[in-house]
Amino acid sequence: MAAKQRSISVSEFFAKNRHLLGFDNPRKALLTTVKEAVDNSLDACEEAGIGPEIWVTITQTEPDRYKVSIQDNGPGILKRQIPLIFGKLLYGSKFHRLRMSRGQQGIGISAAGMYGMLTTGKPVKIVSKLSIRKPAHYYELQIDTKTNNPQILNNRGDGLDIPAGEKGRKIMEKKNIEWEAFYPIPEVGEDETPPEPVEVRSGTRVTLEIEAKYQRGRGSVDEYLEMTAIANPHVTLHYLDPEGTLHTYARSTDQLPPEAKEIKPHPYGVELGRLVTMLKEMKEGTITQFLTSSFSRVSPAVARRICEGADVSTRSSVKKISRDEADKIYKSIQQTKIKAPSTDCIAPIGEELLLKGLHQVVPGEFYVAATRPPSVYRGNPFQIECALAYGGHNAAQKVSRELLERLIDETDARTLRQFLMNTFDGLGADSADKIMKAGEFGSRQSPSKLKQDQIERLHDCMKNVNVSDGQAMQVLRYANRVPLQFKMRDCAITQTVMKMNWRSYGLSQSRSNLPSGPVRVMVHVASVWVPFTSESKEAIAHYDEIQKEIRLGLQTVGRKLGMFLRRRQQVKKEGERRNVFVRYLGEVAQAVSDLNGSDRDEIYNHLTRVAKRVTKEADTKLDDRGNKVTEENYGDNVLIIKDDPEEGLTEQLDKTTPQKKLF
Amino acid sequence: MAKKKAKKPTPAQQARKAKLTAKDKKTLNSLVGMADGVVRQASRGRAPYFEVPSRSLSNVKYSPTKKIIEMGSSKNKRELFNLSQARTYMQTLLVGRGCKELIEQGKTTSIRGLYYLLKHTIDGTREETFNDQGDCDPVIEDVEVTLNALREELHVYASNRGAMVGNIQLIDSGDEIDCSRMGSGGYAIPSIVEEEVMQFVKCDADFILHVEKDTVWRRFNEDKFWKQHNCILTHGNGQPPRGVRRLLSRMHNELGLPIYCLLDNDPWGYYIYSVIKQGSINLAYESRRMAIPGAKFIGLRSRDYELCELNPSVTIKLSDNDIKRANQIAKYPWFEKKKRWQKEIKKMLSNGFKLEVEALISKDISYVTQEYVPERLAEANFLD
Repeated sequence: MAAKQRSISVSEFFAKNRHLLGFDNPRKALLTTVKEAVDNSLDACEEAGIGPEIWVTITQTEPDRYKVSIQDNGPGILKRQIPLIFGKLLYGSKFHRLRMSRGQQGIGISAAGMYGMLTTGKPVKIVSKLSIRKPAHYYELQIDTKTNNPQILNNRGDGLDIPAGEKGRKIMEKKNIEWEAFYPIPEVGEDETPPEPVEVRSGTRVTLEIEAKYQRGRGSVDEYLEMTAIANPHVTLHYLDPEGTLHTYARSTDQLPPEAKEIKPHPYGVELGRLVTMLKEMKEGTITQFLTSSFSRVSPAVARRICEGADVSTRSSVKKISRDEADKIYKSIQQTKIKAPSTDCIAPIGEELLLKGLHQVVPGEFYVAATRPPSVYRGNPFQIECALAYGGHNAAQKVSRELLERLIDETDARTLRQFLMNTFDGLGADSADKIMKAGEFGSRQSPSKLKQDQIERLHDCMKNVNVSDGQAMQVLRYANRVPLQFKMRDCAITQTVMKMNWRSYGLSQSRSNLPSGPVRVMVHVASVWVPFTSESKEAIAHYDEIQKEIRLGLQTVGRKLGMFLRRRQQVKKEGERRNVFVRYLGEVAQAVSDLNGSDRDEIYNHLTRVAKRVTKEADTKLDDRGNKVTEENYGDNVLIIKDDPEEGLTEQLDKTTPQKKLF
Repeated sequence: MAKKKAKKPTPAQQARKAKLTAKDKKTLNSLVGMADGVVRQASRGRAPYFEVPSRSLSNVKYSPTKKIIEMGSSKNKRELFNLSQARTYMQTLLVGRGCKELIEQGKTTSIRGLYYLLKHTIDGTREETFNDQGDCDPVIEDVEVTLNALREELHVYASNRGAMVGNIQLIDSGDEIDCSRMGSGGYAIPSIVEEEVMQFVKCDADFILHVEKDTVWRRFNEDKFWKQHNCILTHGNGQPPRGVRRLLSRMHNELGLPIYCLLDNDPWGYYIYSVIKQGSINLAYESRRMAIPGAKFIGLRSRDYELCELNPSVTIKLSDNDIKRANQIAKYPWFEKKKRWQKEIKKMLSNGFKLEVEALISKDISYVTQEYVPERLAEANFLD
């Protein structure tokens, strides 16, 4: 027995427990791979101050195998670092610092490489270019799971250097190395000459071949990229999906998010074990020096108070601090009053950009965003942002008869149900079924074979069937601008949304459930250290401080939604009032004329005149809270799209990119 | 709508117009007046409204001298340009028009008939003028009070409910009826029993016994109680309709017959007695014609449970609603000052149960006709 015991390498452990890293099934493996690579690319670009431009290409090589390539225009990676970054687990720049970034541990991309190697046996291919003049490096890498070390496969373990310029491009073509050498040419009018293509100056491209499954819908790559576009309005994404369709999400701002500052840990956030390690790492100096230099917000005065509380001399050497004393210091830290950490190390998206991003991707009538002031949990600063989009689900209801015919003409969907779901935003399977049922269409009805009267019927049904009924609120969760797509129920964000009382904001909600209605809520948790429930970074842990901030943020956007809905209700009521009177006037006039023989039309005209005057007076009355209804009440950061029946859909059709469909 | 109107003045209908009685003319005048008011208000650019006397407890007064419930003077505005009243406003005018049609044609119809006469879809909408009869009935009552016209003056009647048997002969719409020869079913009391329709020919009875419902009435009829005690036997099928109340009132006043009521020992029974005696809150404007201040209450009394040694299993537990209602009734001004009634209600509440007249059957099938009522009559111990 004793002879069989030996140490386990990190790589071996994760190779066996790949679900911990998000490679549970082929479908999720594809997403995780794309996600890790894109997150790394974005971090790299932002740190280098480059406006990120990212190419994602997924192609199917075998029935259950896909080749995934992700390229960025970032700063590139130094030649000697490449093997370590992509071929060694737990190697990275982000773990040991406290700074807001997407990646944290340095596991992700190398784990994806390992997964590819385990499932397909193919190496990870990396191209990295540091500048426009210098040669690019090309590596084919494998990870040695026993030792957790990289192995370079190509060119006898040396990698390949590709010269810059036209010569290099020829070599790449010959060797079948993929590289996007130029930015896509923006489209111009017919009479204009297209601009010269711009060469990509630097960047990294990683190509992996993995066992995977491509599927649209919830938890898909498409969803991830779309959500990323919402929270990162400064990013341009080119996504070529396995079916050969190119999706482009153009940036809506050129302004990069402000650079996040790195901070030292705050004493409150440090556990005993970590404190002991830090003490060991400190080679010399006094305890006071240790405390003031390793932590933020610890001045010599504070350090003195900590030492006094722990009954340790302020001048004792760190080397002589015993385990026992360390424990006392730890306890004393908790009791000493220390200023909260500075919060300028967090870069929120900002309300304006949130609105822009949300509006660009999500259809709606009403948008609102709120950024909370920063706060602290366990010594880690964090900040919450909330945004909400309401409505916009009635593209199907607003479509005109002519446009519908055109759409039916153009579609390649095989069944009518598919046509409805693919063409109209926010029209799910349930709603499509409802429309089909109301119109009494057969389940396999082909859209191209519809007759005129059937189109008429379809149009009627689309107008009248209530598609937003019973639809639950969609919660878009983000941590440091990265979308969270799984473990919705376990996440502190979802839990907080469900615990709130949305009924007071005009939505219907059954007890501790998501409210229903055409609503999308987006919650962004930004922090130097986001507390995830697991390594696969899918759900945020339940810290009271975080939940409280989320609640406050949601209340801010909720209040404004409530105002919007109430106001809409008010307008509707006024319309109804006028209607009610007009409806009865004819009857009243007729009855009066029957009774006393006076002229019906004359009475009717008299009554209509009075009705107009009376309802006009009622319209200017105060709202139900006694305030005069004015537009200013909403405050900042609210976007209201006026109802324009045709525009929304035609605009969508004219886009060169395929129609956007969110979930 | 418009077509209907065009059809109306057919020769047959024109001819009928001549047969209007003085009463009809008066009603027609007030109906036309209602419409004139609308024209006047509308042509001056004012929002038209009616004033409908309020028919609630707050607007009825108990007159201790006349011993009946009378309607007060408070009125509710019914406006056309008020969201919650617009529909009823329109319905009020429709009922007015329907009544005018009936009067001009010299016909009468049931309230259900009037409902069907007026029910149609409003032009250009999917809305019906009246959704169901419950929508229509209160509007008819509103028109009655607004115009101060009785239902029969509007040529509308309620469905027949209640029966009569006994030593009385009368003429109903020209037919002579002998109420002592009505078999087991009795004479169905019509809704309109006014002088013009019904005349009394001969009456040998000494008093009237009014029972609450059909089952008890049949017991009395089968046992020929009215023959033995020489009385008239009526029932009103629960809360007596106007026809029954008006007939009782006429027989009491014109023939000088005392009236005794045999009702259940529960809040519902108390209230039936109260309606017969003082008039109802809802129809307070009719109390003058219908209330019988001289009516007496025979039973069932709360003390009868012990007096008649009834079996505990025939009692029915008072519900929360019953208790609430009993307390309400005890506070009505016309019960408030009657100590015996207060004691009676208190006794029922302390019993905690109610008794139906049928409970007496548990003693013997004919106990109620052969012992209970004769004994009470002999004692002359009534609640007033």
